[in-house]
Amino acid sequence: MKRTLTLLSLLGLWLRVAAQGGAPMWLEQTLYGNGKINVVVAVVAVIIAGIGLWMWRMDRRLTKLERTNTRSKQP
Amino acid sequence: MKHWWKFLAIGLLLFASIAALRVPLAPALVHVSPDRIAPGPTEITITGYNTRFVKEEGVYLENDSQRVCPSSVSVIDEKHIRASFEVPTGMRANLTDVGVGPLVYPGALYTEGLGAGIEPGACGPGRSKLDLSGMAFTFPNRSILYESIRNLHFHVPMWFTMIVLMAISVFQSIRVLGSNSLEHDRGAELAAKVGLVFCALGLVTGALWARATWGAFWTNDVKLNGAAVTGLIYLAYLVLRGSVQDVHKRARLSAIYNIFAFVLLVIFLFVVPRLNAVDSLHPGNGGNGGFSDLDLDSRLRVIFYPAVLGWILLGCWMYDLRVRAARVAEQLDR
Repeated sequence: MKRTLTLLSLLGLWLRVAAQGGAPMWLEQTLYGNGKINVVVAVVAVIIAGIGLWMWRMDRRLTKLERTNTRSKQP
Repeated sequence: MKHWWKFLAIGLLLFASIAALRVPLAPALVHVSPDRIAPGPTEITITGYNTRFVKEEGVYLENDSQRVCPSSVSVIDEKHIRASFEVPTGMRANLTDVGVGPLVYPGALYTEGLGAGIEPGACGPGRSKLDLSGMAFTFPNRSILYESIRNLHFHVPMWFTMIVLMAISVFQSIRVLGSNSLEHDRGAELAAKVGLVFCALGLVTGALWARATWGAFWTNDVKLNGAAVTGLIYLAYLVLRGSVQDVHKRARLSAIYNIFAFVLLVIFLFVVPRLNAVDSLHPGNGGNGGFSDLDLDSRLRVIFYPAVLGWILLGCWMYDLRVRAARVAEQLDR
């Protein structure tokens, strides 16, 4: 819960910061070059990273369950 | 086979993602140099995208439906063609279209030396056809969008998935009010949490796409702000849950809040952006045409609908995993 809030507020902050000021030239060249295909690459990368992050947290959650389980089985 | 829908999810996502990345864009004219013309002899270089210029015919200028035929045309390569024109005096419109065979670049040239009209020439489509072999299935090639039209199959399904998960959440909340069941309350909470993951993905992917097409990561588009407010409403839902200690009170209170939250989601994402009174950059909103206005739109749909279904199923799968993990955690706590 706390982490979700932190992540989302960081996201908002990034969007605000990124919205201010002119973007550097390299970004324009990367995004606008080759028929803007790199935007698609970035979008797919973000989605995979996001689902990956979710998987990581799910993994942690299950690890915690496993630990509780072994503890409860001990006499 | 109770797991069939998981295989379906993977299959649909594989199909949609590969197709979304591999289907070529339709040929189009993307650049003309120079971009202004004046009466007199002019040489124009036309750049195509995914084109295969083969014959030295079919190039024309069109000004207010009056055509100017070239004096000579030479194909430099498959993507570049050069044409010389004797631009006549007295064209009627400020903007002149450039055509190569069936392809047209509307308003490509700014025109000087306007007048009452010219002697129209007879040239253009019909004389030569582009070689479209191997280009049977293509995505529309639109200026500003270009290759980024593929994002339709990645960015938009995030929102569809979020909306379905929020719908599951509100459905569970309504059941809480009827049954007072904590199991349903947990379902409502977890569906909203997984929905927020897709909301965040939709916002970030949308910001990237906006930077490349609208010029900024964040614009004051109604749909953008509506989506952001929706995300905040659901964050507030989680905050509200965290602030109530008594579990049964929490279940009922947050169920009522969740119903209002879903109503607001529908208003912010579907009603407000579609009002003709507001301007929106999003296709299909604020009086804009949707992607259905595009030529070859059915070719986008063939990939888009499987992508949406695939992502929705994946979202439900993620929700299912969280519910099962929570159930096990509860059993272990006892």
